[in-house]
Amino acid sequence: MSDRGLRISGLRCSVEGTEILKGIDLVVEPGKVHALMGPNGSGKSTLAFSLTGHPKYDVTGGTATLDGEDLLGLAADKRARAGLFLSFQYPAAIPGVKVPNFLFAARQAVRPGELTPAKFRALLLEMMDVLGMDPSFLGRYLNDGFSGGEKKRLEMLQMAVMAPKYAILDETDSGLDVDALKDVGESVKALRASAEGRDTGFLIITHYPRILQHVAPDVVHVMMDGRIVKTGDTELAHRIEREGYDKIREEIGAVA
Amino acid sequence: MPSLLVDGGDRAALLERFHATPSGREKPSRYFKYDLESPQIDDAAAERGSGAVSFANVPERAIVCDLATARRDRAELVARAYRQALESHHKYAWLTLAYGGLGAFIYLPDDYAPDAPIVVRYAAEDGASIFPHTLVLAERGARVTVVEHLEIGAGGFACGISEIVACEGAHVTYAAAQFAPEDARAFSTRVARPGRHARVTWATAELGAALAISDIAVTIAEPGAEATIASLFFPSGEQHADVVSTVDHRSGDSISETIVKTAATGRGQARFLGNIRIAEGAQRSNASLRDDSLLLSKSAHVDSIPALEIAANDVKAFHGATVGAIDEEALFYMTSRGITREEAERMIALGFFEPVIERFPTESLRDDLRSALERKVGAA
Ligand SMILES: Nc1ncnc2c1ncn2[C@@H]1O[C@H](COP(=O)(O)OP(=O)(O)O)[C@@H](O)[C@H]1O
Ligand SMILES: [Mg+2]
Repeated sequence: MSDRGLRISGLRCSVEGTEILKGIDLVVEPGKVHALMGPNGSGKSTLAFSLTGHPKYDVTGGTATLDGEDLLGLAADKRARAGLFLSFQYPAAIPGVKVPNFLFAARQAVRPGELTPAKFRALLLEMMDVLGMDPSFLGRYLNDGFSGGEKKRLEMLQMAVMAPKYAILDETDSGLDVDALKDVGESVKALRASAEGRDTGFLIITHYPRILQHVAPDVVHVMMDGRIVKTGDTELAHRIEREGYDKIREEIGAVA
Repeated sequence: MPSLLVDGGDRAALLERFHATPSGREKPSRYFKYDLESPQIDDAAAERGSGAVSFANVPERAIVCDLATARRDRAELVARAYRQALESHHKYAWLTLAYGGLGAFIYLPDDYAPDAPIVVRYAAEDGASIFPHTLVLAERGARVTVVEHLEIGAGGFACGISEIVACEGAHVTYAAAQFAPEDARAFSTRVARPGRHARVTWATAELGAALAISDIAVTIAEPGAEATIASLFFPSGEQHADVVSTVDHRSGDSISETIVKTAATGRGQARFLGNIRIAEGAQRSNASLRDDSLLLSKSAHVDSIPALEIAANDVKAFHGATVGAIDEEALFYMTSRGITREEAERMIALGFFEPVIERFPTESLRDDLRSALERKVGAA
């Protein structure tokens, strides 16, 4: 039991020769929601990419396991099949690849053979309804010409379809209007309420605490300059909302 | 008008015109291994002439027959289309005319709009040379889709012409996907003249043959006309595809769209020259040229050369082009969804062609294209 969770220990990562992550320790337990906050450039996306296996991100030290399985030695597709999911801050557009074909390929890759295409389509329409997505999405090419809000909704639809064991949401909330934000919150709730997603652990990367009103975090972390400098509960998020990051920066500066 | 109106002339004279006419291609870059100015022709095989034409989905009120029959029985109709869209600079057309004989005539009376696409099939045996000449004459308001199938055998040579004359308000779509054996050569000249408010669409694909040469042109000489050229090429192995598209806006108030997707893999080579001309006085022309190239191997080569000559001032002209390998960010995105890298590459490469595949008129043709492309991606 004790090795369950998305367990990150002493993780260091460089991008093009510059060290960005300087030793990250973090454990997301099954079924729990962790929020990761921090100013721009602090290394939040770098953490997301190094965990999911982006080839440009060199992990130079530390470990990361998913329910006991080593992630760092695996290619990106195998990490996804192990149960890890990333909602991208800036999803790529892929002209010519239709949304439903892509979603079916992704579902088949992570959960082979569980659904017939017909059942899959029914499931898809149901989930799109939760996300307030028009069925015409199914005729479009992946993220091609999508608005910011449409891209984020599609990320959430992918999460719903793949039902990962651990989901990292990289600023899925940023740039969204109130309705879209609510839909993102609903889709996280819907996954947690489903049989497949009951034990899904979340790492929600965000600038703003407002998403946390929709999805209450169990733990809140603050990242600065490639390190997690503070860990607390929801109160920490509220404090950041009131005071910004400068106060925390002063505090840790004083301690260091 | 510089058209080839004068009929007759003997084979020797026509061959002389063929050899004397420049290909319209820039000096071939050092990568290209074929001589496009004087390609080797097996005169004996050409003279034997061979190949047969057959038809499917012939609609009741259309005239659909082989060219020789049409020239005998419908001479006055044939004269309105035969060599009416061709121009003297279409080098390879001279070769077709020199060995002319095989062909098809398709005539649609006023306002006639049959549902099903008319299928024209040219077939020749292994090693044979064929020179098919297809004419489509659509009267006022007629609507028709023509699908050409070219079935040449191993080592074969095809050099064909397709001509479309669309009268006022007529819509003609002509689709041709070339899947010739990899040791064959396939040349084609496809030319169209849409009338006032007429619409013509070329949907073409060059997937087979060691050497594929294609000239595709629309001359807009009447206001209100619309033209589309949608083409895809995918040389692999040692194949070479050499394509020139030309939309000539001689009249204004006209719209054209050229959309081209070129991929190359193995040691495949492609060259695409995209010409857009808007004549002085062709005001309110609206022309767009979109060409994208995808390199799937280190030794593949694609040259894509747009040429926009615009002599009118009140026009819209768009040109957009991309060239490169598969985007790493797109690959990471797909693999992060559990899809293997190979599968992701396959999906992205096939997706690349979709915007052109969609312009082909029948689902079975689209599926044939997808399967052929899939085989080529898989074999890379
Ligand atoms: N692909 C990259 N190439 C170069 N530098 C990068 C790249 N990704 C991130 N960085 C740098 O790493 C640091 C952390 O960036 P990032 O992880 O995107 O921060 P956050 O997501 O917290 O805003 C920044 O200084 C950024 O400039
Ligand atoms: Mg970021």
